[in-house]
Amino acid sequence: MLRARWQRSILFRVIFSTVTFTIVFIALLGTVLFNQISNGIYREKINASVTEAESLAGYDQGQLYATQYLAHLKLATVVAQILRPSTPSVDTAPREVVLLGSLRGKEGDQTYNGASGNLDVRSVPASFRKLVQKSTNTHWVRANVFYKNGLTQPAIIVGSEIVMPPGTPYELYYIFLLNEQQTIMGFISKLLWVTGIFSILVIGLLSWYVTRQAVIPLRDAAEIAEELTAGDLNRRMDVQGQDEMARLAISFNEMAVSMQQQISRLENLSRLQQRFVSDVSHELRTPLTTIRMASGVISESASQLDPAGQRSAELLASQIARFESLLTDLLEVSRFDASASILESKETDIGSLIHQTLDHLQPGDATQIRLHLPSEKVVAEVDPRRIERVLRNLIANAVDHCDGKPIDITLVSTQKEVAVGVRDYGIGFSEREASRLFDRFWRADPSRSRIRGGTGLGLSISLDDAKLHQGSLKAWGAPGLGAHFVLTVPRFPGIPIESEPISADPNEGKPTSFLSFDEDDI
Amino acid sequence: MTHIMVVDDDQDLAEMLGIVLTGAGFEVDLVNSGDQAITLFQASKPDLVLLDVMLPGLSGIEVAKEIRAISMVPIVMLTAKGDTHDVVLGLEAGADDYMVKPFNPSELVARIKVRLRRAPSTGTPTLRIGDVEIDQVAHTIVSRGKSIPLTRLEFDLLVALAKEPGRVFTREALLDEVWGYQNATDTRLVNVHIQRLRAKIEDDVDNPTIILTVRGVGYKAGASGE
Repeated sequence: MLRARWQRSILFRVIFSTVTFTIVFIALLGTVLFNQISNGIYREKINASVTEAESLAGYDQGQLYATQYLAHLKLATVVAQILRPSTPSVDTAPREVVLLGSLRGKEGDQTYNGASGNLDVRSVPASFRKLVQKSTNTHWVRANVFYKNGLTQPAIIVGSEIVMPPGTPYELYYIFLLNEQQTIMGFISKLLWVTGIFSILVIGLLSWYVTRQAVIPLRDAAEIAEELTAGDLNRRMDVQGQDEMARLAISFNEMAVSMQQQISRLENLSRLQQRFVSDVSHELRTPLTTIRMASGVISESASQLDPAGQRSAELLASQIARFESLLTDLLEVSRFDASASILESKETDIGSLIHQTLDHLQPGDATQIRLHLPSEKVVAEVDPRRIERVLRNLIANAVDHCDGKPIDITLVSTQKEVAVGVRDYGIGFSEREASRLFDRFWRADPSRSRIRGGTGLGLSISLDDAKLHQGSLKAWGAPGLGAHFVLTVPRFPGIPIESEPISADPNEGKPTSFLSFDEDDI
Repeated sequence: MTHIMVVDDDQDLAEMLGIVLTGAGFEVDLVNSGDQAITLFQASKPDLVLLDVMLPGLSGIEVAKEIRAISMVPIVMLTAKGDTHDVVLGLEAGADDYMVKPFNPSELVARIKVRLRRAPSTGTPTLRIGDVEIDQVAHTIVSRGKSIPLTRLEFDLLVALAKEPGRVFTREALLDEVWGYQNATDTRLVNVHIQRLRAKIEDDVDNPTIILTVRGVGYKAGASGE
């Protein structure tokens, strides 16, 4: 999840990196600072302590020697004076004293062992004692000292040798407590922690705020780009100020405007082109009407013409009819292109529609047409004019290409679909031809297709009709084996077909030159 | 002799229409603009007007409206676009029928003849729907003592419904019976003329009592009063 956020959000990435970096930096800085301060504070204390201890020890040694010459000065009294705890004043930190018989050489004298106040004599570490015993110099060490009541305190122990008259070696330790320093260091450490955490928070917030300033316009741009993609071409970014973000917004908006202009230009062009086709078709109608009527008048008086004139009148009439159907088809195509076609559905008996189409077409006795209709009536809510047109196209096509062999027309209906298959066993078509079958004005074999005066728009219009019904028109063909066209339409308008009860491919499963033209194909 | 006025701006088509219609035994007046049409109409009183919808100047729809305002003469429109709003506008303006170019000349003549024919009165000379009394001999209708002028087509439509009071007519059946179309599906013709007829004879067009709509099927005559 974290990884996903890392990859998806710049904001998250920036904040995460900034905060991590800040934590490391502040931790390092804090440690260095703390050590520097603590060293400074302690060094001063140590120097002061050693100086004080040395002068105290010197005085103590003098007192001890003096007991040998002054009768009234008792050794025990001097020792008690040495071991008396210091009276804490404003500028002197509390200090303790420990006096121990040196263990140098053989077992020494331990008579005067003792410590000031409540201090435990064992507070002086053994290793430090050895160091003091080895030389006559003053030594110091930082260690925790403990009291008989269990209290432990940080302290500096300064140790030196002292001679107990007449000549017994003793060790004298002055102990300076570090309470004050520790309190200061504790305070400083607390201060460093608070400052560190506060800085991290501030930097985190700051990076969040700054990044947001940059990211929000980006997010807006992304959102608006998505809306533009979705088709809302009027969306624009807000332009605020004159900074880089404003420039982004301005360029973005300029891009959107230019895109919108391009799209509307193309739409206009296509609309103009469709209008042109429609207008041309309509404009041609008036002269065509005149020509047609003139041809009618000529045909009526054909008996007065010579044979060449009579034939010419016949050709004129038939070509006018062809011209007319071409115009009708062109107009239909332009209507499909302009998405101006409307489905006028009503309950239709498909079986009788097939019969009606056959009556209309009158394929002639030479062609054997075998009907395979279910015994019960097949009723579907379709646009009868369009379905009749598709059937007429498919059957006329089959008659043209059947090569004298029979034609099978099959009608199958399911709960939701009605399918009509038109199968011939004639010349068929190749895979290469199949890909162009539904193209406008395309003819598989120009010499044959014009026999019945097809316009070359029939299959294209049929496919559009099938799509308008939310159905499908599929074709199968193999050279020399014939062709199979299957129209499938829903029984009720607005409910797209779910299956195709008749498969276009008669060798179901063996893919040959099979082509599908579904709703998805555009 | 039956007199037809042809209004078309395309002179060649108008001339051709003249040839065909003269050949079919009609007397023809040719007019090239809508403005002239009205003047000539008042002067020559033709029996039928053949009117191109797309005319320069006064449009075919305006011409139809003006003619209808002064006469009940049958009007047949000529149009290049059979599927546009123009057709409905023309029918609403008062045209009885329309032909889409390019039409078959013999079909045009047949259609003109249907519009000109006097339906042979069958059965009783007088029919009734609601308060409307139809005199099949005099070709007039009287509603509550008031005579209402109807076009021949509107009259035929009303008679068709009145002749079989119990029957529900589909639009296709009416197209067959009144317009003489077979297998026609353009129901706009029926819808528009039923509306025009209702506007003339019904008290409240929104709640008709004489011509009733049977939802999803078609129309039937209202109950004959008394």
